[in-house]
Amino acid sequence: MTAVVGIGITPFGRHLDRTIAQLGATAARAALEDSGLTSAQVEAGYVANALGGMLFGDTTIGQGILAELGIRRVPVLNVENACTSGSSALWLAWNAIEAGQMDCAIVLGVEKMCVPGLGLINSGRSEIDTQLGLVTPASFAMRAMRHMHEFGTTRAQMASVVAKSRAHGARNPLALFQRQETVADVLAAPLVADPLTRSECCPIADGAAAVVLASDRLARQAPRAIRLNTAVLGSGSYENLADMVRWETDSRTARQAYERAGVGPEDIDLVECHDAFSIAEILHCEALGLCPAGEGGRLAAAGETSLGGRIPVNVSGGLLSRGHPVAATGVAQIVEIVMQLRGEAGARQVTGARTGLAQCMGGDRAGDTKSCTVAILSR
Amino acid sequence: MTGDTAHNVPAFAPDVFVEGAGGSALVGGHCRQCGSTWFPTAERCPEDGTRLEPIEIGRTGRLYSYTVVRTKAPFGLPEPYGVGYVDLDDVPLRVFMLLDPAQVDRLAIGAPVRLASATLGVGLNGEPCRRPYFTLLTDTQ
Repeated sequence: MTAVVGIGITPFGRHLDRTIAQLGATAARAALEDSGLTSAQVEAGYVANALGGMLFGDTTIGQGILAELGIRRVPVLNVENACTSGSSALWLAWNAIEAGQMDCAIVLGVEKMCVPGLGLINSGRSEIDTQLGLVTPASFAMRAMRHMHEFGTTRAQMASVVAKSRAHGARNPLALFQRQETVADVLAAPLVADPLTRSECCPIADGAAAVVLASDRLARQAPRAIRLNTAVLGSGSYENLADMVRWETDSRTARQAYERAGVGPEDIDLVECHDAFSIAEILHCEALGLCPAGEGGRLAAAGETSLGGRIPVNVSGGLLSRGHPVAATGVAQIVEIVMQLRGEAGARQVTGARTGLAQCMGGDRAGDTKSCTVAILSR
Repeated sequence: MTGDTAHNVPAFAPDVFVEGAGGSALVGGHCRQCGSTWFPTAERCPEDGTRLEPIEIGRTGRLYSYTVVRTKAPFGLPEPYGVGYVDLDDVPLRVFMLLDPAQVDRLAIGAPVRLASATLGVGLNGEPCRRPYFTLLTDTQ
């Protein structure tokens, strides 16, 4: 068994005066200090960054960041896997420890993307779909249109996902958005891609998050260790015809994680999922089995996914309110769940939480996602 | 939008669509081995590795879903512009495609559409280029 023995995170927002390396080193150092281990005990580093190469020409940044912490000579991998860059790095580290290759690894996700003229994220400039106008909000807007058409999901239900997210974000000092927003506010915001308004699209941010993973042998000495029961990474099936409201890749990855961890949706006390858009959280709640297909909108509107509800989703504020520094997100989800399972989440604490699930998704291809991850943690 | 005839303008990408007297069509890849059809085409069939043969598909279809993008448009596309997934009538494929920019306020799931093409936006190097798009059948009959 593998455990998370240390966590570190920066506030998510604009860090205009800080480099990628400075942001990354801050989170990594905090995680190492939190673990009580020394840099000499870290046997590998997995460093996720998605956009540094494109925006700054910065590649292979992991070695430099970790060297500043005294982590040298050991294997260091730089990981890019779109919005699952951070959770894919976690997957690599988890596998290495599960395989008995090492007793301790550090996982860091870091992104600096608040630069002028970034524009909308797409899935690769040379892709045919991108050149035909497919930007990421459009991809989810089309899912939203279809969800409304097939299941009668309402705009107010979608907006309730955002209102809930803002209420959660206001309880998280690390979140970008700290203010409440009503369903009416969400619906009155400018349209980005019909029917989604700006409030229903996650904001970009700079930030970094890190975790230290350890084997049983090392974790026994760590009093606050949280078990990482399983980490699953899948890619798309790209089946044509793609069903855009019953997401096979999403539910397949979830099913694998439940099977491997020996738990089901009814055992989960809190979920951090990839709510890049209001409709995305609705789809993920359905794929994760928190409700039947088509019921995700009603689930949110009924308050079941709110703090204090049946199954709180994105109590951190999620991507919608914490902000989405692409490669940091997947690791930040793990940091949040560890804080919750330790009982250290303050005003947003899910009472008595014992088991948490993190889900992440990245990239667009043929009406499917390129990458999907699910991890399950417990105390 | 009416299709112009500036055929000296290059296509935005090779092997995606063709334009002729009979109208516009998408270029699919047909596998003789397993009978499957792919769009966009590729060198070989992802199922069995057989070399794919070009086949004209997708002159008509029905709108599976759509959206109107109202932010700054990439590749010099009109603002706003429509995109959608279309279920093709002739082969069992659901394809992503631009929609007629003149019709963004009339789109509906299930609407029958026909493929057209025009000089629309710019290419990877900023040069004007031709792109295919689906237009509502009810507007053209």
